[in-house]
Amino acid sequence: MTRSLKRWPSWVLLVLVVGGLLAVGAARDAAPRSPKERVEEISKRLACPICDGESVFESRNADSQAIRIEIARQVDTGTVSDDQIINFIEQRFGSKVLLVPRATGIDALVWALPVAALVCAIVGLGFAFHRWNIAADTIPDDADRELVAAALAGDADIGEGDGS
Amino acid sequence: MHEPATAGRSGRRLAPFVSLGAAVVLAALFVVLANSKADKPDVTSSFLYGKPAPAVVSTTLDGETFDLSRRKGSWVVLNFFQSTCLPCKAEHPELVAFVAQQAGIADGAELYTVIKDDSDAAVAKWFADNGGDWPIVKDDDGSIATAFGVAKVPETWIIDPSGVVVSRIATTITADFLATDLEQLRQAYG
Repeated sequence: MTRSLKRWPSWVLLVLVVGGLLAVGAARDAAPRSPKERVEEISKRLACPICDGESVFESRNADSQAIRIEIARQVDTGTVSDDQIINFIEQRFGSKVLLVPRATGIDALVWALPVAALVCAIVGLGFAFHRWNIAADTIPDDADRELVAAALAGDADIGEGDGS
Repeated sequence: MHEPATAGRSGRRLAPFVSLGAAVVLAALFVVLANSKADKPDVTSSFLYGKPAPAVVSTTLDGETFDLSRRKGSWVVLNFFQSTCLPCKAEHPELVAFVAQQAGIADGAELYTVIKDDSDAAVAKWFADNGGDWPIVKDDDGSIATAFGVAKVPETWIIDPSGVVVSRIATTITADFLATDLEQLRQAYG
């Protein structure tokens, strides 16, 4: 059994564990949400328009309260999605109220760059591991032994020559 | 024992491309950041430009019903106001002058103050002390401010006789500036 065959069960196990965790994470939020939960989730994705570092959900000021009321009003209609409500608020108060960057335009770099960096890192590690494997797997062959023997014989000749 | 040497050569061949890729990404980031707009307040643009004004139905401090859609046929100026806001206070005499100015024009604009996050009593007292007899519209739940996207005051909006939003001034205005802006809009409106 080669070394790669010995290793594959651990890789399969790793893939299964990661896949399972991703599936659980994706399914966890799939349950129907109450209107109150929707309002909370949407207000957590929006920044208070007049204060720093607070979401509409956390902020107690009148503007955030008014935005929460508007979110609740739109949620109660039952006809608009979370993204449509967020878009409504963003159109009026500007993109500064978005706590979660959009996945389009320049904002998409926020999502794309970490993924690109991760891919580069994985590829780099792959190259590094490959080189280390090659170095570890290298076994001298006959040609190498002949070269070493010839070199040693040459050194011996030089040593004898020096002594005479 | 030739493999390590081969791997070393391939690594050396790869290094320039990796460096070039990193340099391209950094250069792209530099260009993006250099061309990005500074975070300055935008005082004029609005998503609502050219669109029907949001529905506004409320009451005034006098107890009258205010329905913005019923004001079609008139130029309407909405001024969002808070009695504790210093720029709002500084602007107030200009609004008094503006209303007097518009009273002498055939199709003079109607001015309405919208209370922004303030008590009715405080605003009523401010008007009693400092003049101004135009309607003051209540916005107890902040729905009017949210519909227009007003976060900071003072902020002034102009709505044309067909009920369409045509101007937004998210800073302190003067009577002359507002009158001139309105006159240009009238001419454009025909």
